[in-house]
Amino acid sequence: MKVEHEVHGDRKVYSVSAFNRGVASWLTRLPSVWVEGEVTEFRRQARWQSVFFTLKDPHDGSCLPVSMPRGGFDALRLELADGMTVHVFGRPELFAARGDFRLRALTIEPLGLGAVLAQLERLKRRLAGEGLFAAARKRTLPLFPRRIGLLTGNEAAAKRDFITAVTARFPAARVLVSQTYVQGPRAAPALVTALSDLASEPAIDVIVLARGGGSFEDLLPFSDERLVRAVAECPVPVVSAVGHEQDTPLCDLAADARASTPTAAARLVVPDEGELRERLSGLQGRLQRAPRLLVERKRAGLESLAGRLRTLSHQSTLRRGYAIVRTDSGIVRDASSVAAGDRVDVELAQGGFGARVEETWP
Amino acid sequence: MAMTAEPSFEEAQRELERIVTELEGGRASLEDALALWQRGDELYRLCLGKLDSAEGKIEELGRRVEEARP
Repeated sequence: MKVEHEVHGDRKVYSVSAFNRGVASWLTRLPSVWVEGEVTEFRRQARWQSVFFTLKDPHDGSCLPVSMPRGGFDALRLELADGMTVHVFGRPELFAARGDFRLRALTIEPLGLGAVLAQLERLKRRLAGEGLFAAARKRTLPLFPRRIGLLTGNEAAAKRDFITAVTARFPAARVLVSQTYVQGPRAAPALVTALSDLASEPAIDVIVLARGGGSFEDLLPFSDERLVRAVAECPVPVVSAVGHEQDTPLCDLAADARASTPTAAARLVVPDEGELRERLSGLQGRLQRAPRLLVERKRAGLESLAGRLRTLSHQSTLRRGYAIVRTDSGIVRDASSVAAGDRVDVELAQGGFGARVEETWP
Repeated sequence: MAMTAEPSFEEAQRELERIVTELEGGRASLEDALALWQRGDELYRLCLGKLDSAEGKIEELGRRVEEARP
């Protein structure tokens, strides 16, 4: 197509209209392609000939405006909602009247379960590659959190289960509850905001992310890259208690600890006070007994030393030439306690002998 | 064994355990044993106090949303 221009001296000058038409016509030479992205700002009105939305790259936020003629769109019978990941088949187009660049959709396919799973797997591998799930990143949970932040949805069960279990184990626990969207396209950004708000509350030492079981799609916000990153980067340790045992949303991998249920999360964040008191009283008992045992042991040591000392002292006397004379009734200290003919035993420094008394004198 | 700041419950309980084990080992001098016992008793009271003093509370963050389902 030939685009007309005027000549001003040595430059060619196009009118806006001619320029837009020229670019638009050049764009028609590009092939139709499939583009994957997240639907945002979906707009439709009865008087509009087309529906509009923006396709967003969840990785870096790049945006691409999309339009689709209403007839074609309605024929697809799609329930498009913000946050859905879709494949759009279309060709680039310049809307000449406004100079707007966009993708003109010929068809739109929401991602099937298989594709969503594959996408999750790719995200998981990419984040793992960044080290987001590394064991070295995991922080230890405090034994006594000054305050516990609970981030949950409006469903009563997760909140009730958690608070019941926490207060049963540790009645003194302080819990700050924050509730927000936990499913649907608004959930991930809402959770990210609520998490950061909760973390900045004073004296919050641990945050529990709790959500009861749900369908695979229901739990998708907990695998959203924004939330997974927010959990990994949260200044306060995070416990993830999302879904059931078999579900592993990516936020579970980024969290510092993972619990299969809100009740299990409670066991991770507060100690059992009864157990602690028992252990403490056991220690106190040992503390009371230990010094007594120590003194008894020292006394026994002293006694045995004294015994050895006594033995040593009479040994040295014998070595100097003295002897000890004994009868059945003990050591002979007085001559009147024996009579001629009595049998005596004589102990010397080395050995001894038996003897009979010949005579006595006072 | 000078402590500048008050130890946390875990620190206090760990130290108490160490003291009890050392006393039970029976190798401490009598003077040391007495000092250890005093310190142990202090730590026990500290742990007990920490368990006794905390006050339970559940608060709701002001900002709530009306409905979970969009």
